[in-house]
Amino acid sequence: MRQAVGRGGASGTVCVSPAMLRCQGLRKRYGDRTAVDGVSFSIAERECYGLLGPNGAGKTTTISMLCGLTERDGGEITVDGFEGGSLEAKSAIGYVPQDLALYPDLSAVENLAFFGQLYGLTGKELHARISETLELVGLADRGKDRIGTYSGGMKRRANMAAGLLHRPKLLVLDEPTVGVDPQSRNAILETVGRLGIAVLYTTHYMEEAAKLCDRIGIIDDGHLIAEGTAGTLIGAHGGRDKVHLACDPAELDALASACRELDNIHDVREVDGNLELTTDHGPAVLPTVVGVAARHGIDLTGVEVRTPNLEDVFLSLTGKELRD
Amino acid sequence: MIRVIALNELRRRLRDRSVLIGCLAAPLLMAAVLGFSFAGGGAPVAVRVGVSGASQQLVAAAVQASQLPPGVSVVRMTSEQAVKTAVADGQLDSGVAVFPGRLQLSSLLIPIVDPGATHTPGYDVVTKGTSQVGHEYAESVAAGISSVLYAGKVAHGATIDSATVTIKTQNVGHGGKVNLNFFAPNIAVVFLFIGSGLGMRSLLMERAAGTLARITAAPLRPTQIVLGKLLAIFVTGLATIFVIWAVTTFVFGADWGNPLGVLLMCVGATVAMCGIGVFLTSLAKTEQQAFGITLLVGLFLTLLGGNLLPSGSLPDVFQVLALGTPNGWALVGFGRLDQLREPATSIIGPFFVLLAIALVTGGLAMTRVRRMVEP
Repeated sequence: MRQAVGRGGASGTVCVSPAMLRCQGLRKRYGDRTAVDGVSFSIAERECYGLLGPNGAGKTTTISMLCGLTERDGGEITVDGFEGGSLEAKSAIGYVPQDLALYPDLSAVENLAFFGQLYGLTGKELHARISETLELVGLADRGKDRIGTYSGGMKRRANMAAGLLHRPKLLVLDEPTVGVDPQSRNAILETVGRLGIAVLYTTHYMEEAAKLCDRIGIIDDGHLIAEGTAGTLIGAHGGRDKVHLACDPAELDALASACRELDNIHDVREVDGNLELTTDHGPAVLPTVVGVAARHGIDLTGVEVRTPNLEDVFLSLTGKELRD
Repeated sequence: MIRVIALNELRRRLRDRSVLIGCLAAPLLMAAVLGFSFAGGGAPVAVRVGVSGASQQLVAAAVQASQLPPGVSVVRMTSEQAVKTAVADGQLDSGVAVFPGRLQLSSLLIPIVDPGATHTPGYDVVTKGTSQVGHEYAESVAAGISSVLYAGKVAHGATIDSATVTIKTQNVGHGGKVNLNFFAPNIAVVFLFIGSGLGMRSLLMERAAGTLARITAAPLRPTQIVLGKLLAIFVTGLATIFVIWAVTTFVFGADWGNPLGVLLMCVGATVAMCGIGVFLTSLAKTEQQAFGITLLVGLFLTLLGGNLLPSGSLPDVFQVLALGTPNGWALVGFGRLDQLREPATSIIGPFFVLLAIALVTGGLAMTRVRRMVEP
């Protein structure tokens, strides 16, 4: 049975569609350095898969092998049933590189016309696709302008349009929002969200991955160290909620003693002059904590509930932060 | 797909005007410099050149091949000593003493591509040191003798008429245009090399710009990408040499020789230079490396092939080595057309040598094609 997969997989939607991309044991070495070491994952039709990891983790190298840009030293790739790197596999992929890959001296239409022709599009079909794709990325009114005159965000959208033009079955986006203003970032994310095709999305922005991707693979030092929906990853590796309370320092010990008496509070400790409570569900215990403080005549000057996120998952799995 | 990539390359080069500069402005400028330098019509100068050791038939053919300007007389002398005496006495401005026994194929090749040769083993140019013009015309006559002998039109052992003859040349030459005929294709070949060598840097520039990654990700074979680039460079290279040919011919009156032969030589030279260009680019990892390699090899080939320094002024071994260069062979072909006035069929040899050079260098480059297109 085939099930449509929604965007934003924190809910833990299970994907049962056939695999559009299947990678098994990918390996790539550059001299003595192993950039990718035994990476395996698959992406179903219409699934958005996020490859999350810091710079230098192996994301771009993995993508380069998938798209046939770099020869792999080991492992297997199939795209839509075709051997990775074959012309058929390449035809099924829409590649949006990390850097702007357009000719600044040519207009968006001229750029798209060239790249469209490389995928066999010609004549009226080519022109129709160009109009349609420019409309999709919100550049229909600037199509005849040279790319060199575009803002950074517009260039990124045009960059994505070139990858979408031939209606690929698998869209590969390599950090498409790096250095992009918030408005353009949202436009890109919205566009990706409504495509309805398989997407491989690499990023080191955890919020993007959590918002956009049905499943996420966490990659570090060339290894895929965890995989699942954002919800399952956080549940398994993110740890517990933290409630931070601020009050008069003279009353901190009294507040700590009162909180230790509460159910569902696993740990109470002083952190940077504030009180940090560890609990399974911060929002649920917060009213109780505030009530206890009031009963003891303690004025809370600040309250913050922090739920674990993918950053915590990465920290938990690697012992280091998801750095830029 | 090759055509798509080539057209895109040409469109971008038109858009950034580099093709206009490389294929039109620069060749026009160079043609103008050559034309004004060599095709100016100065007043006829009365010069007498004596020749010994050659038959009347050979001298007549050599004068024809040399295309000497009006006012230059060539006198056949009975011996080397007679030439030297006449030059010393001022009866002659200069002379050429031919030594048939010393004429060899390797020495004969040089004057064909290099009318300015001053040292060849087949003859001595006799001058007093006071007449530069006389010296140069004597060299032209010597080059003509070698050209004619090499072409096999007159055997150097032909019957020698003992009577001294004077050959008036008023109607056989067109002044400095003989130099223009020589230098125009010569410099055009240099332009070709620069254009094709540096043109292939486009691949490396696209790698740096990121567009190569997108092209490589498309359903194309690496060879299609490289051949597309090469096609664009071939077209621009051909345009470059055609502009120089047209301008020097129609504006300055140069005569490159048989048009079909010239056309074939232009194609052959352009293909060979494209082969060299793609081979050199395949050795480089960055645009800067390609630039350096191309300039270095270009300068080396230009010097060795005889484009800048007359190969006749180099040691004998280098004169033969010139024929190991594509530009050397291009000059041989063009020389047969513009100096020997030979038909198009005469350049079949050089033409196929140039094609072979293109195949070998291009083939070597294609063994590295995957690496060339890897982003």
